[in-house]
Amino acid sequence: MHLVFSALLVVLLVSCGLAVERTRDLLGAVVIFASYSLLMAINWQMLGAPDVAITEAAVGAGVTTLLLIGAVSRTRRREE
Amino acid sequence: MLDPVLWSLLAFLLIMIALCLARAAVGPTVADRMVAINVIGTKALVLIAGLSVAARQPFFVDVALVYGLIGFLATIGVATYLERGGPST
Repeated sequence: MHLVFSALLVVLLVSCGLAVERTRDLLGAVVIFASYSLLMAINWQMLGAPDVAITEAAVGAGVTTLLLIGAVSRTRRREE
Repeated sequence: MLDPVLWSLLAFLLIMIALCLARAAVGPTVADRMVAINVIGTKALVLIAGLSVAARQPFFVDVALVYGLIGFLATIGVATYLERGGPST
């Protein structure tokens, strides 16, 4: 059961990365990237590194998302 | 006895996260994406707390606490973007 959960998590992570690369709408890409870093935090916790998971949850899901949304709102929203 | 139930519950939550992720990828309006990231955050919070029960390591709950403190920032950011008058579709 543990293995099934880990495999599901890794498949979801890879599909998140592919979706970030495929999405033309940059705000959607930012949102998917935030959920990618959340799943990565869960993965760090599965690997037994809760301190890295805390940093990933704080920096990846909070600060990086705000910075990227600020960048999108100062430039274009659609990728050409 | 408790372990298979708990792990299958966590896997079910992960499948629900995948469905919300599909909505965030497809969703035509910004509001869809905002609600999707909020729901994903809440589900991940429950997932981290359940993982700390399943792994029998109580200090893993700290990760859930820190994420609960920080996690609303993404929603606030998208809402500020909407309020400032970015295109909503």
